[in-house]
Amino acid sequence: MKTRYSPRSYIELWSWLFAALTLFVLLAGAVLLLKDSVLVWKHEGTEILTGKEWFYRSETFGAAAMIYGTLIVAVLALLIAAPLGIGAAICTVEYLPARWRMVIKTMIEMLAGIPSVVYGLLGILILRNWIYQLFEDFEILSGDTLLTAGILLGVMILPTVMTLADDALSGVARAQRIAARGLGLNATDTIFSVSLPQALPGLIAALLLALGRAMGETIAVFLVIGRQDNQWPGELFSLRPLVESGQTLSSKLGGAEINIAYGQPLHWSAMVGLSFLLLLLVVGLTLLGLWIREHSKHTSYDK
Amino acid sequence: MKRTTVFLNIFLNVFLSSLLVLLLHSCGDAPSQQGQVLKINGSTTVNLAVAEAAEVMRQQTGKTIHVDTQGGSSGGISMLGEGLVHLGMSSKPLTQKDREAFPQCDFHQIHIGDDAVALIVSKDIWQAGVRSITKREMQAIYEGRIKNWQKLGGPDQRIAFFNKEPGRGTWEVFAKWLYGSIDAVPQVSFPEVGGNEETRNKVASTRGALSQLSSSWADSKTVFPLSIENDAGEIIRASAENIASYRYPMSRPLYLLSDGEPQGDVKEFVSFMFSDKGQNLVRKHGYLALADLSK
Repeated sequence: MKTRYSPRSYIELWSWLFAALTLFVLLAGAVLLLKDSVLVWKHEGTEILTGKEWFYRSETFGAAAMIYGTLIVAVLALLIAAPLGIGAAICTVEYLPARWRMVIKTMIEMLAGIPSVVYGLLGILILRNWIYQLFEDFEILSGDTLLTAGILLGVMILPTVMTLADDALSGVARAQRIAARGLGLNATDTIFSVSLPQALPGLIAALLLALGRAMGETIAVFLVIGRQDNQWPGELFSLRPLVESGQTLSSKLGGAEINIAYGQPLHWSAMVGLSFLLLLLVVGLTLLGLWIREHSKHTSYDK
Repeated sequence: MKRTTVFLNIFLNVFLSSLLVLLLHSCGDAPSQQGQVLKINGSTTVNLAVAEAAEVMRQQTGKTIHVDTQGGSSGGISMLGEGLVHLGMSSKPLTQKDREAFPQCDFHQIHIGDDAVALIVSKDIWQAGVRSITKREMQAIYEGRIKNWQKLGGPDQRIAFFNKEPGRGTWEVFAKWLYGSIDAVPQVSFPEVGGNEETRNKVASTRGALSQLSSSWADSKTVFPLSIENDAGEIIRASAENIASYRYPMSRPLYLLSDGEPQGDVKEFVSFMFSDKGQNLVRKHGYLALADLSK
């Protein structure tokens, strides 16, 4: 099959073409965002990263509070999704028979297909009020808080964490488990001293990919975070800011401000700059996650 | 075996090439003004009447009409300006700035009725006896100088003020009343709310809440409209008469926006909004029809 125009090479050609197209779209998007935001980089310099104030009418564009919100919400989501997702994966891989594993895995993966606006509305209807009542003693102003958004995102990324952790754990060679049992370790010991350490790179990758997804999520966060600008916390290590409203990069971009910005070059470029920052964060985390995941495959199959 | 691969190959080639051609082709085609689908976008306030009118027209004429509320009034203006929709909906008058931002668009404002912006509070505040507010008090709340309802004769409860997103028609009407012009409004950071549903839901479910909302959405069951006390000490309710006579200070016109003189489907839709049926839909949603306005 080494003839020049064999069917295989046609298919290969097409797949290369489409792969290149995908890459081109991503790069073109990034370049376009960078080009459209040049004004604000010139205007603010590094202040756009470190500036704590965003007042578009006085042309002050500091995104620190939004970056803070984005990170806090994503980390909260991960704190919730990591133990649950990895725990569920341990259960499906180590304890359930293979048949049941696929049933559970498919059902959890289906959760990932629910549109995020549905999660957002559930957040408004249930989670907001629950948080509001739970923290009543702390006199919180409303149920729109960073914590609410974090919990909601945690539920949303749970399927991603679970299914990727499941892949990582089931990639651990069976022979290793059998050997461990043969050495007299019980089931729990086997999980903690063989499966989990072996699957660690894959698990880290799962968490990073989920973190990337959490940061990019817009509409569900938009509905429950309160969208309050300039909420840079007075004390970085206080838990108080978690029960106050805030803003993330994506909730800012999802709001009406983009319409005001249109037609005003500096303001517009500031909004585009925010999207560029968001793109960097999400793509960076996803690439790192994928890299670790690929890397881990090589090690775990090297028996 | 070989034959199937060849067949697959041909199929793939045809399929993929046609996909590519389709892709390239659709890129070059701008949505035409006289397309099959009439697209409308803008203010959630105007939307109530317009969406229902669209429903009626759909049944009568079989036309496809898409009504959306992305970005509120300023979303309606920018999407019409960009040529993405055929009609914009706006609950604020166009400014010179809007026109300058979209020089390629010949904006026409079509007045279809009036509405007012109410300052609404949650049930606990209303039941505690807070029924009216002065401009000075509202300014103090907006600037963060008053943070507790006690200062307004209410209970000892923090004021949870939800600011309508700037760019929304409701916010601009409120801002002009409070400070005279939008540029004079101090820059503040409050939790923000967007559409009318969201505003009503959040105010209703939060103690000590205050926000701006289209008066037709203030149902007096879940959220309650405050009266405005003017400088002379008169207390003015956001009633239909007061809105129609412009005695209530935050009255505002509702507009459809078109690019150039309405033509074709756009014209048909606009005429429907002017007809008795269309105007009754405006009334049905708690707004004032053109005939109710004292000019």
